Amino acid sequence: MKNIILPVSVISKCLTACVSLIILLFLSCQGRNTQNNIDQISESQVIKLARGLSIEKHDNYSVVTVKNPWQGAEDISMVYYLVRKGSVNPLGIDSGQVIFVPLTGIICMSTTHIGMISALGEGNTIKGLSGTDFIYSPEIIKRVEKGLIDEVGYETNLNKELIIRISPDLVMIYGIGSESAGHVNKIRDLGISVMFNADYLETDPLAKAEWIKLFGALYCKEEMADSIFHAEVAEYNQIREFVIKNSDERPEVLLGLPFKDTWFISPGNSFVSKLIEDAGGNYLWKNTSSAFSMPYSLESVYIAALDADFWLNIGTVKSSEEISIVDKRLTDLKCFRDRNLYNNNNRITSRGGNDYWESGALRPHIILKDVAAILHPDIYPGYELFYYQRIN
Amino acid sequence: MTIETSMLSLRKVYFIYSLLITSLFLLFILDLFLGSVSLNAADVWKALFSGADGHLETIIFKFRLPKAITALVVGIGLSLSGLQMQTVFRNPMAGPDVMGITSGASLGVAFVILGFSSDLSPDVLKGFGNWILVAASWAGAGAIMAVILFISARIKDIMTILILGIMLSSGISALVIIMQYFSSESLLKAYVIWTMGSLGNLTSDQLIVLVISVAAGIILSFASSKMLNALLLGENYAGSIGLNVKFARIVIFSCTSILAGSVTAFCGPVGFIGIAVPHIARIIFRSSDHKILIPATVFLGGSVMLISDIISQLPGSGKVLPLNAVTSLIGIPVVVLVILRNRKYSGIY
Repeated sequence: MKNIILPVSVISKCLTACVSLIILLFLSCQGRNTQNNIDQISESQVIKLARGLSIEKHDNYSVVTVKNPWQGAEDISMVYYLVRKGSVNPLGIDSGQVIFVPLTGIICMSTTHIGMISALGEGNTIKGLSGTDFIYSPEIIKRVEKGLIDEVGYETNLNKELIIRISPDLVMIYGIGSESAGHVNKIRDLGISVMFNADYLETDPLAKAEWIKLFGALYCKEEMADSIFHAEVAEYNQIREFVIKNSDERPEVLLGLPFKDTWFISPGNSFVSKLIEDAGGNYLWKNTSSAFSMPYSLESVYIAALDADFWLNIGTVKSSEEISIVDKRLTDLKCFRDRNLYNNNNRITSRGGNDYWESGALRPHIILKDVAAILHPDIYPGYELFYYQRIN
Repeated sequence: MTIETSMLSLRKVYFIYSLLITSLFLLFILDLFLGSVSLNAADVWKALFSGADGHLETIIFKFRLPKAITALVVGIGLSLSGLQMQTVFRNPMAGPDVMGITSGASLGVAFVILGFSSDLSPDVLKGFGNWILVAASWAGAGAIMAVILFISARIKDIMTILILGIMLSSGISALVIIMQYFSSESLLKAYVIWTMGSLGNLTSDQLIVLVISVAAGIILSFASSKMLNALLLGENYAGSIGLNVKFARIVIFSCTSILAGSVTAFCGPVGFIGIAVPHIARIIFRSSDHKILIPATVFLGGSVMLISDIISQLPGSGKVLPLNAVTSLIGIPVVVLVILRNRKYSGIY
């Protein structure tokens, strides 16, 4: 019985376990947010709210900087020079960082970018997408069905040969982590420009919408992008002020759904937490801060949420029975008993595309109005929810 | 190799048993007191023995008590099946997962979470954490068990079966990797979290099913202790003293499948307990007699799992660690010890 046959698999399991524990410890200890110095906003800069983006206008070109484009990135800046087609490269610029604009063909790795591109009337420049199953926009779905837009795969699974055949002006990606940089370099090696988009890391709804200006610069439609953004800011602020003025109550809000006995909680410095605050709600974890979702035990969330008034963004749930299937104990929560359950899946396709993630990125004021109308039904009588629906 | 009844006297064995039972009982109670939400000890005591108001009672009776019972049962089930596999395969590194039962269960779950969901998503997701996963996991484990039984009824050499089991297990993992590769981030996350193991999500019906399955496994284990002792001498020798080796294998494999299959179905692939606990039992009792080791493994398995659960709840913090990380970190020192002390240890093994 001296022959030991399995040590390699045992050791690899040890390693996996250690690594996952270290990662989790690291994640749970992350109290810092990516607070960067955005204090000095100079006049030549176009961006006011977005933390991860800056655009500097020059005579013949603009300089776009995307900061910390993936979760956990620190002090990483990606610089791009947008040069008008036909003009000469500005001196002293690495030609690898030059993107010629206006774009005539783009591949997007996230469906959130569809909304912004379509808003500028440039939907027909989209030649390839990652996750075509998850598109909501009927026009874009039609183009996919006609074969005008190809599915390019994702991450390490990217169909590089297809990308070469499409040969777009730009591949717009969003970073899951630095490890994904490998396939990014591969596309770059093929001579195709790649740009990181970090809109999904913005923690302020308006800051996220401000990324339309990036597309404005890419399509040479800066004014149009600016006016869309300013209209959005005005409407958002108007709703926020209206809600704050006309409501006294700050109902408590629970978010999400547990997986097994772990509940991944959105931190207080997240997009959705800010939205709830602006909609006159009191998010239960508004005082937490983390760059990632935090793993809480079901027990502790249950205790905290016992008297919560509303329960929003409940996974992909469409009926209250689905919640009781996930965990029967959740049906004891006050918000469940009162059926104050609302989910952001009012506009979805049968395959799982959700307009909340698509056009919602550019229209935070509608999301805000939805949430405000849910939390304070008396101030928006008769309002019909757009992205949200009540779960019965 | 010989069977060695413990080097300890029978009185000493019973003394250690009573210590283990006491610590098991204390750890069970401690698991009720320590959870991720910190509760006043006096309140918990009151809730347990004279009832309390709504919240506290819910926490104790709906969260912590089922979880503690699950921990106990899971610890016992995995440790016993580990002990059996180590004896049958005559390999100190064998565990419940060596036969591919765990990977079979993983395949079933991967089909539900990654495979089907990618086409039917997101409606299928509503079945998460419930009977769909359990049924799939059981079906996967059962299918592998059927294959193993089929092989073991035909092939004589136990090492061949071990190798086939490992190959089967790797083949299944490869299928799961393919499914992972083609699945979306959120589904991948759901699957990965399943593989981290969890104790606290069983409904009362599921807990009853788990307790009955593991109880059946325990009874079968006690019944098979003579066979296991005979197998320690090697299959040829065991056959020569009148043991029907193939029959013994079928009994023991079925027992392990019931134990490891149901635990994995309800709690995910909980690692290392099955390998480590039998060794702890052998070291404590300095014995390879299954009549001594089986009860010892039962008591120790329950205790180690309760300790793991308490640690994974990070008492008072509100947050949790994945169960598998904790069980592995407890199991690793034991496995290292066994590898380093292999020569000395083989005296009692």
